[in-house]
Amino acid sequence: MTHPPAPEAIIRALREYSPRSLNIMEVCGTHTVSAFRSGVRSVLPEGYRLISGPGCPVCVTSQGQIDGAVALADVPDAIVLTYGDMLRVPGSNGSLADARARGRDVRVVTSAMEAPDIALASPGRQVVFLAAGFETTAPATAAMLSEAAGRGLRNLSILCLHKRTPPAVRALLEDAALGIDALILPGHVCVILGHAPFLFISEQYERPCVIAGFSAESMLLGVLDLTIQRARGETALHSVYPDAVKSEGNRKATELMDRAFVPCDSVWRGLGKISSSGMRLAPSLKDFDAELRFGVSPGEPPEPRGCRCGDVLRGRITPPECPLFRTTCTPAAPVGPCMVSSEGTCGAYFRFYKGGTVAWEIS
Amino acid sequence: MGDFLTLGHGSGGRLTNDLVRRITSVFPAPETPSAFEDCAYLPDGYAMTLDGFTVSPRVFPGGDIGKLSICGSVNDLAVRGVRPEWIAMGLILEEGIAEEEVIGYMRSAALVCKELGITLTCGDTKVVPHGAADGVFITTCATGRRETARNLGMHALRPGDHLILSRSYGRHGATIAAQRFDLDVPGLASDCAPLWEPARALLDIGGLRCMRDCTRGGTGTVLCEWAEGAGVGIEIREDDLPRDPDVLSVCDILGFDPLYLACEGCMIVAVSAEDADTVLSRLAQFAPCSGAADIGVVTEGHPGLVGMRTHIGGHRVVDMPVGEILPRIC
Ligand code: SF4
Repeated sequence: MTHPPAPEAIIRALREYSPRSLNIMEVCGTHTVSAFRSGVRSVLPEGYRLISGPGCPVCVTSQGQIDGAVALADVPDAIVLTYGDMLRVPGSNGSLADARARGRDVRVVTSAMEAPDIALASPGRQVVFLAAGFETTAPATAAMLSEAAGRGLRNLSILCLHKRTPPAVRALLEDAALGIDALILPGHVCVILGHAPFLFISEQYERPCVIAGFSAESMLLGVLDLTIQRARGETALHSVYPDAVKSEGNRKATELMDRAFVPCDSVWRGLGKISSSGMRLAPSLKDFDAELRFGVSPGEPPEPRGCRCGDVLRGRITPPECPLFRTTCTPAAPVGPCMVSSEGTCGAYFRFYKGGTVAWEIS
Repeated sequence: MGDFLTLGHGSGGRLTNDLVRRITSVFPAPETPSAFEDCAYLPDGYAMTLDGFTVSPRVFPGGDIGKLSICGSVNDLAVRGVRPEWIAMGLILEEGIAEEEVIGYMRSAALVCKELGITLTCGDTKVVPHGAADGVFITTCATGRRETARNLGMHALRPGDHLILSRSYGRHGATIAAQRFDLDVPGLASDCAPLWEPARALLDIGGLRCMRDCTRGGTGTVLCEWAEGAGVGIEIREDDLPRDPDVLSVCDILGFDPLYLACEGCMIVAVSAEDADTVLSRLAQFAPCSGAADIGVVTEGHPGLVGMRTHIGGHRVVDMPVGEILPRIC
C-alpha cells in the first residue's frame, strides 16, 4: 500500500505538465460524486476537463426495467427490496417511491444478503430483490442466490438488472465522435475483474487509462499518471489504487458471477442496447427469475423527450447544456435518469454547480 | 404523480420546505415577528414551539424516542434564547405495544425535564388500531420565556460574521442509519442532548447574531436556509469541520454526505468576528460542545449560496438536499 503524495504536490506537478487539452472520462459514478464533493475539478489547471461516464448503475437502468420493477411491486402481497437510490428513478408509470406512496411494500436494503432473511420472515408473501449494479454488487447477488437455493426458499426471486462495465466502455470508445483522450477506471470494479478485461482500452483504442481509488488524492494521482503517459506518448493501463489490484481480479467473486449469470444484451438508458453488457440468470437458477415467475416483461418505452442523457453519458455535453437542466429537470422532479441518483452527472451538477457567477465555478 | 406525498417530503430539505409553505399559506399570517418558524415569539416575552417525533428504531445508542421528544423541542426554544419551562405532550400509541416500553420512554423524557427544571403541564394519549401508527408517535409543545430581549434570527447575519459549530456533526443520523442498515460501529452514539445550558451561556455576548440546532437535513441544510433566507453568502472550510471518524465510516459505506445527516444536540452559532473566540471558550465549558470549532464566515459575495473550501484546496457548493437521503448502490 503506497501513501499518495500531498494534494498540493500533485497539483503543482499537474501545472508543470499543463497539457493544452486533456479530456478525461471518469467511468464510475462514485468518482463523479467524489470529484464534486472534494472539488477536484476546481483545482485542475486549465486544459483539463473531467467528463463523467456511464458508471452510475441507477442512471443507466432503463425505463422498461423500472416499469418492470413497479409492476412487480403491484403484484398482490409482494415485497420489493431495492437499493436506495433506485427508488426515485422515473419509469413511464412513476417510480418505486410513487409505488410505495400508493401503499406498495417497497423496502430499502443495503445488501443482497438481507433478502433471504426477509423471505424467511415473510411466509405466504413473495419477496423480489431488484438486483442492480455493476460487477461490484453482482457477486453478492450470486452468493445470495446460492444461499437461497440451499435453504430452499420458494418465495424469493430477483429482477436481474446487473450490468457489465467493459462492454459499455467499449461501446463508448467505438463512437468516433467521442472526445475522450484518457480514462479513469474504478478501483473497486477492477479489484473484482482484474486488469485484463480493460486492457483493450489502451491496446485496441490507444487511450491511456488508470485505475484509481475514490479519494480526491487518488483521483488527482490518476490524472497526473494520465498526464505523464500523454506527455510521453504512451498508452498503457496503470494503477494508482491503494489496494493491490491483481491482474486476474478476485477469482472467487468472478467464479460466483460466472456460475449465476450469463451475458445478455442490455439496454442502457441514454446509450441504447449494448451487446453482452447485461447479465441474465443462468439456466440452473431460472426458478429465481421474477420476470418468469410473475410474467412481467414490459417493453422498452421511448426515452423522455428532450432529455439528453445519452449525450451527457457520452461526454458530448455537460448537463447545463441540456435545455431541460434546472428548468423542467430537477432532483425533485427528474426527467432523465442522470438527475436521479446522487451519482448521476446531472444530479451532481445540480447540487454542486451554480453557473458562472461564483468563485468556485467549474468548467 | 405529484399528488401523493412521498417520504422525501418529510426529509427536511427542499421538498419539506415547499410543502410547509403550501400548508401555512392556507392560514392568515400571524402578527408575531417570527411567524411560522421553528419557534415563535409570543407577546409578553413568551415563546412556543412544537415538534413531532417518529423514529425507527425507537431505542438507539445515546437515547430513545422519549429523550428525543424533549430535547428536540427544548433545543428549538434554546437557540432562540428562550428558557424552556413547560411541556405539553401528545402520545399516539399503536395497539399491541407493551405498556412498560411506553413508560420507559416517559422516564427518559422525565429525566431531561428534571435536569432542565421543565414541568409537564398537560397532554393527550390516544391508542389507535394496529397498523394505524408505527408503535409510538410523540408530539411535544414547549413554551418558556425569553432570557434576551434581542430577536435572534437569521435576519441578523452580517458579512464577516463567523460561524461556530458546537460539535462534530451528523451523529444522530449516522447512528440511526447504522441501526437501520445493520452496521456495527461500536463507538457511535446519537448526539441527542439538550442545548439550553450552552445556548444560555452565549446570550450576553454582544456580537451574537443567531443560533440554530441542526436537526433533520443536517448542518448543510441549516447553512443553506441561512444563506437563502438572509440573502448572504456563506463559506465554510472542510479542514476546520469537527468531523467524527465513526460518522465518516457510516457515510463511506452508505454513500451519505455527513453534512446532510441529522443531529439532535448540535448547533451552529453565528457571531461577529470579534466575539468568535468568546463563543468558543464559553462552549468549551459544556461537555456536549467540547468539540466546538470555527468553521467559516458569512460573505458578501455569492448571496444565497453556501460554498466550501475543500481539503485539497478546491471549492464546492453545499446545496440543500432534495428528498429522502438514500443509500447508494456499490
Ligand atoms: S438535465 Fe435532465 S433531461 Fe437533461 S440530460 Fe440531464 S437528466 Fe436528462
